[in-house]
Amino acid sequence: MRETYGRLLPGMKLSDLAGKLIVIEGTDGAGRTTQINLLKPWLEELGHAVLDTGMTRSPLAGDGIRRAKEGNNLGRVTQSLFYATDFVDRLENEIAPALRAGFVVLTDRYIYSLMARAIVRGVDPAWIRSIYSVALKPDAVFYLRVGIDQLVPRVIFSRGFDYWESGMDLHPGHDMYEGFCNYQKALLTEFDRLSAEFGFDVVDASPDPKIVFASLKARILDLVDDSQKSYLSRQVEETIDRISRTIEPNRFYAVPTPPEPSAPTPMRNVPRFMNSNGNGQHI
Amino acid sequence: MGEMNTNPGVRIGPFEIFLPARPVVPEPKPSNDAGHPGRLFIVEGIDGSGKSTQLSLLHKWLEAKGYGVVFSEWNSSPLVKDTTKLGKKKKMLTPATFSLIHCTDFADRTEKSILPLLKAGAVVLCDRYCYTAFARDVARGMDRKWVRDLYDFAVRPTVAFYFRVPLETAIGRITAARDCLKFYEAGLDLGLSDDPIESFRKFQGRILDEYERMIPEFGLTVIDATLPVEVQQSQVRQIAKRHLEGAQELRIRP
Repeated sequence: MRETYGRLLPGMKLSDLAGKLIVIEGTDGAGRTTQINLLKPWLEELGHAVLDTGMTRSPLAGDGIRRAKEGNNLGRVTQSLFYATDFVDRLENEIAPALRAGFVVLTDRYIYSLMARAIVRGVDPAWIRSIYSVALKPDAVFYLRVGIDQLVPRVIFSRGFDYWESGMDLHPGHDMYEGFCNYQKALLTEFDRLSAEFGFDVVDASPDPKIVFASLKARILDLVDDSQKSYLSRQVEETIDRISRTIEPNRFYAVPTPPEPSAPTPMRNVPRFMNSNGNGQHI
Repeated sequence: MGEMNTNPGVRIGPFEIFLPARPVVPEPKPSNDAGHPGRLFIVEGIDGSGKSTQLSLLHKWLEAKGYGVVFSEWNSSPLVKDTTKLGKKKKMLTPATFSLIHCTDFADRTEKSILPLLKAGAVVLCDRYCYTAFARDVARGMDRKWVRDLYDFAVRPTVAFYFRVPLETAIGRITAARDCLKFYEAGLDLGLSDDPIESFRKFQGRILDEYERMIPEFGLTVIDATLPVEVQQSQVRQIAKRHLEGAQELRIRP
């Protein structure tokens, strides 16, 4: 059964969260979004309903966070809590319902990025862990790891230096390049620590995106295949259970011979519980 | 927390600090051990307990006494309040996100105004504080320890006044003063009752129970809110006075 990191939100039932929760983690510029854009259509082609979600995409707090960041005057505790609001809104209203409906949930970052960012900013690690004790434990965390030397060219040639990605709110000085390097190095160190603590599946994100994609596909295939197998075996068990109850020996009549339990349905005929319209929306 | 190291007559924002002509270190060491020279008075109580009236009377008295007084209201952070408003208007808030967004608002006020002002030696007044969240969020089903941990960054008040009033009195005051109760205020999100007044009664009853539990836990100073306004205010001022000894006077320069 699914677990949380220690505390249960009111109204959250863990027993029926049958889908798969797959986390793609990594620092800014590690190629998370690229990989999710490849993984989603691939999983859908395989017949899985997919929900993709990520930071600041909640209807409740997404816009508020963006507005607050424009002013560059968002304190570290406020920042951590605003992101936690966004996270819990998505956890309760998107992630959990999708898992309940048997979706594969692909999430671009999870609590680990939020923890790393907060801890690097000097927030008490015990405090941030307590907040996220209500988070669901994912089925897998793929940590796309790149070194700082590769991160810099990726950032320079895509979107340039960003105030927050350079940790400028920590007031490191006036040099954005230096700020970026120091901040990202600190994040990488924190990610490595979290990786050991939470058992991340580390993926070397330095090669070509196609190679990273191939490596992710292989690992995710194991996970979702496993989900199909357990679904099938559960179906078989339930069928046997149903049959054995209907043929419960009746003491007034001769017991009929139990019919052969039906053979497991072949994989390709398994009805999908729900479908996606391709945008990760429920239909 | 580091201590302010200011010289007499230094300006901080719109304030001018007048320190005794003796040492530069903030002194005498306040009767609290909070590590800042300011004073933090907060009021708590259920809706209709009269706490806001009492706080505004205290505010006027403190100003008349010459203290630099700053007032901070629950749910008033310019960065966060629009999000809270959106969530309430569209009824998007669950007990967890209700708790988190209010804490975010409180954090912004703590980081930007409450803490720096206390360090500057101001007298800070708050209408509702973390205890409001402890009462409401737990009444909504959140874990008691989780909510307390969430507000771990809050500055401990110099005095936390709790205006204790029986449920029926508060309901009488609220229903006389308002046309209708708001959705979250009446706890209608909890499905306790379809009738707003009945739901309000049940929800506020739970909140009262939580406040009672917090009196010994956090050492809340109980004021009997059924007494005449003037009697309550004189008690509040007497208690506040005891904690103001040695507080810096921050005058707003004309």
